Amino acid sequence: MKGPPPPARYEEPKEQLPAIEGIIIDAGALEPGDRVVYPNQGVCRITGTESKEIAGQALELVRMVREEDGAAVLVPKGKVPTIGLRKVASGDQIEGVFHYLAAQYDDPELDWKIRHRDNADRLIAGGVLGVAEVVKGLHALSRIRPLPTKEREQYDNARHLLVHEVAVSLSVPPAMAEDYVDYALMPPAGVTFKLKPPPKPVELPSRPRRKVVARTSEDDLELDELGLDLDLPEVPGAGTETPDLPEAPEEIAVSADDSPPALVDDSPPALEEGDSGEAGAEEAAGEPEPEPALDDGESEELAPRRRKATSGEHPEKAPRATTSASSTAKKKRPAKKPSKPSKSAHRTHEAKGKSEKKKPVKAPPKKPGSKAGKKK
Amino acid sequence: MIRIVTLGPFEEADIAVLSRTLYQAFGLGTEHAGQRSLPPEAEKDDGRYDAEKLIAKVEPIKTFADDKVLYLTSATLALREGPLGEPPSWSFAEYGSEKAIVSTARFPARGSSETAIEAWRKRLARESIHAIGHLWDLHHCYDARCAMHPPWSPSLPANPEADLCAFDREKSERRIRLAKT
Repeated sequence: MKGPPPPARYEEPKEQLPAIEGIIIDAGALEPGDRVVYPNQGVCRITGTESKEIAGQALELVRMVREEDGAAVLVPKGKVPTIGLRKVASGDQIEGVFHYLAAQYDDPELDWKIRHRDNADRLIAGGVLGVAEVVKGLHALSRIRPLPTKEREQYDNARHLLVHEVAVSLSVPPAMAEDYVDYALMPPAGVTFKLKPPPKPVELPSRPRRKVVARTSEDDLELDELGLDLDLPEVPGAGTETPDLPEAPEEIAVSADDSPPALVDDSPPALEEGDSGEAGAEEAAGEPEPEPALDDGESEELAPRRRKATSGEHPEKAPRATTSASSTAKKKRPAKKPSKPSKSAHRTHEAKGKSEKKKPVKAPPKKPGSKAGKKK
Repeated sequence: MIRIVTLGPFEEADIAVLSRTLYQAFGLGTEHAGQRSLPPEAEKDDGRYDAEKLIAKVEPIKTFADDKVLYLTSATLALREGPLGEPPSWSFAEYGSEKAIVSTARFPARGSSETAIEAWRKRLARESIHAIGHLWDLHHCYDARCAMHPPWSPSLPANPEADLCAFDREKSERRIRLAKT
């Protein structure tokens, strides 16, 4: 029984990686018996093509067998140009790899995020030289400090892929290929090689370090909750958005659920920068005062108080104080409900109504005399 | 089971110590399975023995599934020349196969003092663990204290320990567990 064909799956446009030598673009060029390298899988042998119906779609598939363990791999012909399938490295490429491995290398990437991402890219799209770069980089790093488990596995996998490709390319057993690789990486004492200039390193796709997000007032709330550093310096500028605040000054002052996160998040950077944040706080408290007066007079008087309030007892470590404040804010957040931007506006109105109702209830504690009377 | 086959005269005490060490390293029973002669067709013009040919041509012994055979020789082994020359070889074994060979030709002299003999035995054990490790699909390790570290490495200490690192031990145990039929 055949149903309607499934809707075409949406696929995000992939970033175009730089083409490497020997990459197979045309699936029609593959012949049974050819040996190819499947990124992250190793050397495979093409066994033929076949057509299969998968999920109601007739697909032309290239069948290959991984040489290492005989695992079958089926790739749609249309996908062949995009998966990075390539020919086994030639003798010249392998020679370049060995000259690269034996060359001096004392600049391993120390940022694990960048390193891990770059290594993953190199393994997928870097060709045999990319795999060698991963091996060389992680090996150099292992001389500085032991690799963590995940990177150790990545190193082991990269090494495995490199050794097998070298073995296939040079027609030697893999164990011997590994001896060649380690002979280049760790030459015995007193041995020097006559090295040619190593090949040009693999060009990795240039990716933005951080996603640039169009900032809106709603997005600000979410980004603040994530604790991104991007937002911290710009918070004083967020005071320009305080025209919203006068609408709900009392809710911030009174309602316990919604207001504290905003105050905790916004106050530390405001303290660093000046009083623009305080202006917002003053506005929030319902006492609109001219900003210049705050800047001149109160900034000096209130600074110690603010530092105490934000637990920043070491004024010279202000940046750290902000991070610690943000981290404490992070710790506190999970206990609270995540505030969705669409609902928050709704809540403000509700809270406003509640606050108006609760006002008489919460008013007595403000008076010290009444408190004392209650205690007595 | 690991079966040790000598391709020349070896001290029984040395083989006994080696058997115990291999048992501790892999958790597999180890025994001395006899002596064979070096295959003459593996000998090269310079008097060394081609490691690949030696393993292929050596007289076989009776084995069972998952058995590994370790050949010990005092002859010098030779490998094929690579892109940067011929790496020095203490042992040779193909991944996942059942035969490995270890040569004592490059070891320091066995000597007669107890310390020298102890050091020699430790080196023999280390190279044997290295070769058997390759039979269990272990790659070379960057940790100089691990037996899978390349034997020519300059960071190898003078008296290396005969043991696997935690990563390789775990990997070999997994392989051995999967291989048990």
